[in-house]
Amino acid sequence: MLLGALLGLSVYLPLAAGQLSLATPAFYAVGGTLAALLSTRWSALGATASGGFPVPSLLLELVLGGLLAGLLALLVGRLVLRLQGIYLAIATIALVEIVRVAILNLPFTGGAVGIFAIPQPFATAAGYLLPALALLALAGWVCQRLEGMPLGRAMAAIRDDELAARCMGIDTTGAKLTAFVLSAVLAGSTGALAAHFLNTWNARQGSFDASITTLAFVILGGSRTWLGPVVGGLLLTALPELLRPVGDVRLVLFGLVILLGPVLAPQGLITPGLLERLGRWGEGGKP
Amino acid sequence: MIEALLQTLLNGAASGGVYALVALGYTLVFSVLGVINFAQGALFSVGGYLTFLLMGGKIGVNGALPGWGLPEGLPFWLALLLAAAGSGLVGLLVERLAFAPLRRRNAEPLLALITSLGAGVVLVNLLQLLMGAEGYAFPQSTDALAGLPDVLMIGGARIRTIQLLLLLISAAAVLVLSLWLERSKGGRALRAVAEDATTAQLLGIHSEAMVRLAFFLSGGLAGLGGGLIGVSVSLPGPYFGIGYGLKGLAVLVLGGLGSVPGAIAGGLLMGLAEALVPSSASGWRDALAFAILFGVLLLRPSGLLGRRTVEKV
Repeated sequence: MLLGALLGLSVYLPLAAGQLSLATPAFYAVGGTLAALLSTRWSALGATASGGFPVPSLLLELVLGGLLAGLLALLVGRLVLRLQGIYLAIATIALVEIVRVAILNLPFTGGAVGIFAIPQPFATAAGYLLPALALLALAGWVCQRLEGMPLGRAMAAIRDDELAARCMGIDTTGAKLTAFVLSAVLAGSTGALAAHFLNTWNARQGSFDASITTLAFVILGGSRTWLGPVVGGLLLTALPELLRPVGDVRLVLFGLVILLGPVLAPQGLITPGLLERLGRWGEGGKP
Repeated sequence: MIEALLQTLLNGAASGGVYALVALGYTLVFSVLGVINFAQGALFSVGGYLTFLLMGGKIGVNGALPGWGLPEGLPFWLALLLAAAGSGLVGLLVERLAFAPLRRRNAEPLLALITSLGAGVVLVNLLQLLMGAEGYAFPQSTDALAGLPDVLMIGGARIRTIQLLLLLISAAAVLVLSLWLERSKGGRALRAVAEDATTAQLLGIHSEAMVRLAFFLSGGLAGLGGGLIGVSVSLPGPYFGIGYGLKGLAVLVLGGLGSVPGAIAGGLLMGLAEALVPSSASGWRDALAFAILFGVLLLRPSGLLGRRTVEKV
């Protein structure tokens, strides 16, 4: 669930600058594959024969996964961010597909089966709660800070009117690229964490389906504040689990949420207006 | 050597024809509404399964009604036509649910991208509920193809009849559609709405009806493609249309968004390029379309035959 919230934030960042990028699963896959490779192949990280794994090495992988994804985003972003609207969306779908096929076919990523028996840093799944929460807190803090920083304001200006923003002397390319790279770093680190959490890793982790799902996080939650994607990610990753009792129908219902969500709540669940009202309500409630 | 090349080229042209069908479906909707219908891939699957059922195929053990099927299979061409019409109707339903509410509200056009994706997810999973996730092979008999032999010899090359039919049928569909758009009154009305919906409305054209027509035709094209691919290869599962939908997207960009000749040329080009990938690198074949897409977007975003648009302030 927390991983969903992290991916939601990763889609939100470019969107905050008005750029609809569906590339998050590509960076997620890159980060995950790197972590899976490092922890299973590189013995210096200290994976034990019993499947254990030291926590500092996990942190190192989070950093490296983020860096690699960020580097890729820097290279790709320079090219694709010249595109706008629907073209950018299509280009990023293409990136996701290229990364997926590459992971499927490269000689060292395990093909269709993928990489399995990834060592576990924690004895139970609950152990992952802490690093995931920490990562989410860090990402949330960055997003919150962004709103008050020149960069965040530049991003908002580009979202509202790119041409006008450029006329005001804002480095639009730089701001868009920064948002794109930040989004990739976040997705890469999330992937590295997810690889350990899921225990196996293959090309299916970053597919077109994942693009849809992560985008749905943001649309459902709302794309105007960073809390929106977090809530959307939490809800939509929990939804299939909650719907498990209805069995096969759950994916149909999941699709219906994506289909009807924007129709019923075009701004998403969490809007700036709602937050303001909540804040006022909170103040009014105090004696 | 020459025979092998001929065979490869024909295979490429045949799958290129199907790509062109899918891309044309996108083009119709895009030119009228300026949005992309991401449910197109799911409609492709719907067409494949409808054709299968209409030809007398039975639902497998994992479906909702195991063993159910039509008592008598229809001939290939009739089943294909009805399946295309059925997918067109489903396309209309997608328009009602995913596009119309947003349009009435003048919402952000990019939202339609999400809702149509949602419609696609719903369709594919309904198919999976109904038919199960297993693959289906069409009954391969000579009378399935209206009495034509399975394999033809052309210039010393063995060509599967169905491949040739695939090429001919998609070529015919594309030709009829382009002529209709270009010449007929309805086609002109559609193009008028594409140019400017409000003005067209003022001139007495029922814009909403034209939008619905575009969705019906677009769904029909996708269904036709799905049926053709199903008959010539097989139905590997409800998700198979999504891949074709994505390829169609690549073709669309290659040819230029909103350009009818571009969609056709792009489809053929993409099919041929894929057929020429050596079999030793066949795993990478799926990446080729997207690599081409990437290249086109960077070098010539308006596509091969698209018009350059200047953004107005």
